Amino acid sequence: MAFALMGPEASFFRVLDQHRVSLIQSLKEGPGEAPRKEASSSEVLVSIENIIQDIVTSLARNEAPFLTLDNRSNWENIKFEDSVGLQMIPHCSTKKIKSDSAQSAQRFALILKILSMIYKLVQSNTYATKRDIYYTDIQLFGNQSVVDNIINDISCMLKVPRRYLHILSTSKGLIAGNLSYIEEDGTKVNCTCSTAVAVPSNIQGIRNLATDAKFLLIVEKDATFQRLLDDNFCNKLSPCIIITAMSFEAHNLTVPTIRWLGLLPSDIERLNIPKDTLIPLTKRDQMKLDSILKRPYVTCQPFWKKEMEIMAELKMKAEIQALTFISSDYLSRVYLPNKLQFGGWI
Amino acid sequence: MEARAVCEILKYVIIHWKKEAAELSRKALLEGELLVSIEESTPKHRADPSHYVTTIAFAGSACGDLVPKQFLKGIQSLLSGFSGKLTWPSEEAHCAQDLAGLASFQIKIEVDEKPPTLMADCLVIKQFLHRTSIVHPKVRFHFGGEVNGILFKETFGVEKEPVVKLLNGIGLLTSQHHYMRPGFLGAQQVCSRIHPVLGHPVLLSIPDEEANMGLLGQLTLTPAAALCPCHKLHPDQTSRISAAFVFLYGPSGLPLIFPNQEHPLTVFKDNSYLFDWKKYHLRAAPNSNISLEDDLVLPDVSYWIESHERSWPQDSDQQILLLFLMVDFQGGFPAQLTEAWGLQSLLLTHLNSILLENQSLVQGAVQTAVDQALEQHHRRVKAQQKLQASIPVAVSSILSVVAGSTRSSFRALCLQTLQAVDTQEFRRRLHEAFQMTLHQRSMCDPKKQQLPEPSSSAEEREEGDESLDEALAGSCCPGEAPRPKRSCQGEGVGRKAQAASWLPLLSLGEAPQRSIGTGPTCSQARGWGGPETRGEDTLWLQEVSNLSEWLRAGPGSRPVP
Repeated sequence: MAFALMGPEASFFRVLDQHRVSLIQSLKEGPGEAPRKEASSSEVLVSIENIIQDIVTSLARNEAPFLTLDNRSNWENIKFEDSVGLQMIPHCSTKKIKSDSAQSAQRFALILKILSMIYKLVQSNTYATKRDIYYTDIQLFGNQSVVDNIINDISCMLKVPRRYLHILSTSKGLIAGNLSYIEEDGTKVNCTCSTAVAVPSNIQGIRNLATDAKFLLIVEKDATFQRLLDDNFCNKLSPCIIITAMSFEAHNLTVPTIRWLGLLPSDIERLNIPKDTLIPLTKRDQMKLDSILKRPYVTCQPFWKKEMEIMAELKMKAEIQALTFISSDYLSRVYLPNKLQFGGWI
Repeated sequence: MEARAVCEILKYVIIHWKKEAAELSRKALLEGELLVSIEESTPKHRADPSHYVTTIAFAGSACGDLVPKQFLKGIQSLLSGFSGKLTWPSEEAHCAQDLAGLASFQIKIEVDEKPPTLMADCLVIKQFLHRTSIVHPKVRFHFGGEVNGILFKETFGVEKEPVVKLLNGIGLLTSQHHYMRPGFLGAQQVCSRIHPVLGHPVLLSIPDEEANMGLLGQLTLTPAAALCPCHKLHPDQTSRISAAFVFLYGPSGLPLIFPNQEHPLTVFKDNSYLFDWKKYHLRAAPNSNISLEDDLVLPDVSYWIESHERSWPQDSDQQILLLFLMVDFQGGFPAQLTEAWGLQSLLLTHLNSILLENQSLVQGAVQTAVDQALEQHHRRVKAQQKLQASIPVAVSSILSVVAGSTRSSFRALCLQTLQAVDTQEFRRRLHEAFQMTLHQRSMCDPKKQQLPEPSSSAEEREEGDESLDEALAGSCCPGEAPRPKRSCQGEGVGRKAQAASWLPLLSLGEAPQRSIGTGPTCSQARGWGGPETRGEDTLWLQEVSNLSEWLRAGPGSRPVP
């Protein structure tokens, strides 16, 4: 397969290559946790049937049935693994969703409703997006976030990734760079074209994935992604892949780990970002920052903690667009190449 | 009519007490004792009008300032046109000291009346006393006597009954047995009190026409609302509001409308005058089916209420919305007692116009109070709706999985667990099972709910003491559905005090020819009595029943004692 021959010298990627080697090594020497089990469709169906059976048994005993969910909203239950990222701790605290309480009866019913829909999807080997689920009965569900939360709860409850529930995200993501694959229907896709490719919703059907990329750059904003495309970034730093954040879900990683490249709070002073481009932290920002600093997994990450402490002290934040005030192509010409060449990530 | 005369005198007495009390403190509750006793002086054949003597005796802390001659003169003036004879034991100042250290006075009214008319008068007087007693909780109203050889005795204003202070010198008895029969409640333990929410007073503008008729001054209306019975102890119990009762009180906390009087206030014929029922998805219809024979406090206005949203489960408890409207003048008392008494009548004559003129103000004030009173009910209704709405969703989801499963063992197990033969029956049993779990939760396992034992006499006293200063948002007092037995348990000691307070008043006049001794003194006379008072209970029940039968039977008949 021919890819773009442009790109920097091989020595440019020395730090990146070292980083990849260390990541692969850490995977091999990992804490010994069993890799996430790949669940078959029949296992998902049986899991759902077991839940239903328990409910019926409770009712037969004149006991109000309830569902037990891992408490995902308690940060004490979350840990960070280098090889995986954020995940629930073993034996985490749980919460009961009761059928006979006015506060939770509705949620109990909606969880059963979505479980029954998942059951049908898995049984018929068809797929639906989260949006599709919501639109089956918008009056019942109320809003999309209710559906999204319940799907996440079910994913935790059955201990399978969302894709095994045959529920897809409503993707609006874009991808470009050193990547080719064949979609489920046989379509061949080559992302090295000058225009970006939409990330397919159903990644389960993808095969023949081929890439030589040294790195995958996740870009938060579509506008910045477009700027990089316009600046021919994928070719200048080939081989690489760039992807928008909308197509990427942190809790369902398809790469072993992730690093934060920027714009870091420490970059603000180091690069002498113009002060009039900075944005004061809002009260909500401040509260969020305080909350993140208190999360157990953050205390084990000194570099993250340091950056957040700098931000708290500055009481300012900077958008990536602030770099355009230095020069319009500073991001693609100077900032990213330097960061990637000299390992400026945390 | 004698009843009217008696009630007007009672009003005059209370106005006097209020005037005297206001000079010391506007906020203090009235204290005192008032006795109305009716006796037949010369028993004759039932068909003939008989001669009856009604004795009104009263004892109050302010009595010492009463000048009997002036007092009697005032009463004579307000009873102009009355055909009966009014006497005072002595034209000289007559102020005896009873054991409680209170000064007391006595007035007699003599009339010739046919027994049925007298029985009707008795019911009217009784209702008037009961109505007045609930807003003057520290005044004891005794009503008794002998008619056609049958003794009757009743006391309103039992000691240590829970009360809340509403306005200047006006309180409200909060035991729910005044407003609702115990049998009207569910079978479970409930809170025994109502928890009135006091609204903001509104200043009513007096139309010029009314002002020209002599109705001057600043008139205020203050609403208070409560739900009866209180369901705070059972927040999951379904309940529906089935009726609304309106009680109107004028200055000095006196009932504005005479019991059994043809209703002078036409504003209340408009169901929506007081309250926007639609806000709570309710409809109201006037209810004129109010019987004087009822032992409960009778409202001035009554509405049937029903929900037009959905039908309620069969086991829903019924609740009544109680609305108390207190109308009063802002300024002080007129110099003359007769003038103050006259203002009451003048107010009633013109109140309809005044209420019409101020409809939006009145409705706003009432709405606010009722909204607060219904807040918890509303939340409970919403919670119930959420629970009920979740059941069909859960049932269909479970059925979808069971019916759609290709594992016959799973399907069979689920059906077998609920003893269903097919999926249709399975659906029905699922629904029933969910409903059962909700019902069980709302009924509340007695083991889980550690309700205190029915209050002993000591506890009742302590509770009563505290309740005199009870805040309007007072907490629920868990207890069994109020049965008169319980409220009378403390009366073993109280009875002696009752006897003591009776005797000085009775000694000033003729003693009753027959007595049943120191009988029970509960205001709710029906159905109470512990084992030790069962004999008295039976006799008492017979007498009360006889009173009602007498009235229904008319002249020439005599109920079996």
